[in-house]
Amino acid sequence: MVKVINAAQFDEVKNADVAVVDFSAQWCGPCKMMAPVLEEISGQYEGKVEFFNMDVDENQEIAASYMINSIPNLILFKKGEKVSDSIGFKPGEALKAWIDSNL
Amino acid sequence: MERYDIAIVGTGPAGVSAAISAKIRNKKVLLIGDKDLSKKMRQAHEISNYPGFPKVKGEDLAHAMAEHLAQMEIAITNVKVVNIYAMGKYFSLQTTGETFEALSVIIATGVMPGKMIDGEEGLVGSGVSYCATCDAPLYRGKDVIVAAYGKEEEKEAVFLSEVAREVAFFPVYNGDPSEMPGNVRVVREVPTGIRREGPKMVLETAQGSYETDGIFVLRESVSPGALVPGLATEGPHITVDRQMRTNIKGLFACGDITGRPYQYIRAAGEGNVAALSAVEYLS
Repeated sequence: MVKVINAAQFDEVKNADVAVVDFSAQWCGPCKMMAPVLEEISGQYEGKVEFFNMDVDENQEIAASYMINSIPNLILFKKGEKVSDSIGFKPGEALKAWIDSNL
Repeated sequence: MERYDIAIVGTGPAGVSAAISAKIRNKKVLLIGDKDLSKKMRQAHEISNYPGFPKVKGEDLAHAMAEHLAQMEIAITNVKVVNIYAMGKYFSLQTTGETFEALSVIIATGVMPGKMIDGEEGLVGSGVSYCATCDAPLYRGKDVIVAAYGKEEEKEAVFLSEVAREVAFFPVYNGDPSEMPGNVRVVREVPTGIRREGPKMVLETAQGSYETDGIFVLRESVSPGALVPGLATEGPHITVDRQMRTNIKGLFACGDITGRPYQYIRAAGEGNVAALSAVEYLS
């Protein structure tokens, strides 16, 4: 499951062992296409990785602090620290390979 | 949404051959491309190695292929495919018209003539767009740049001028652009680079650099890597195996887009293989 959060809930990302945050926006076509793909693969990481979604228009400060200027932009956090990012739409297999290489 | 078994993109010999083989195998086929088939084939003076058609004129071969499609009741959907997304169990095809869904896709678009602009590929979807009719709403009241690689793209610039504040139009083709609306500024310089600077986009030419909110790069066909995010490519070609399979499951490619030699008969043969591989994938 991918949980939609706002800036006030960002502690959930900070406190997770491993978290993947999907920074995206309502108007972004590739983001819309990637959301269901991410939702589908999230089920395979239950108990290992927590998935979140943040709207960059509504959470501009956080987006700016991670220098998001190209979306969809996935960031993988370990214990609150940014470890890796993935920019643009990717098929499920490629997303899994990216996550696995960072676990 | 209606979901096709096999969507075929391209109406050259590879796409036509794939459509015929898929239809013979009773699949629900969506064939997307030019209603007049391949422009390149139509203009070929003489083709001398297509078995059964000695010294055939390109135009005549194209006509025979069109007849073959008509006989088999395969219609051509005349739109431009902007993006193909691998959704897992199916593919979503975003076009200049409606969006289509298919369980498998065969890419038979031919090779793209010309090079991309430096920096273009990495910024697609985040400042660079290939589709004015899709993304124009994002630029309401903002400034855009249109890099147009064909005279027919002028109408896209006119469409954007109705939404955007100002359009800087870079015609990268021979001849003078037709008269444009008042908020379209024609700049006769050749784009050499694209980059992002914070929230702004910058287009560079040999003469200077131009800041804007979004850049539309409009040409007849886009590169395969930009068309399908995640697709493995080698230069202008899509990487395939002998079954015409790409690195994405359910996605196949055939014809000139898979590499040299660029030959009509090879393209037709590959189209047949791609269709049969897609049929096998669907079972």
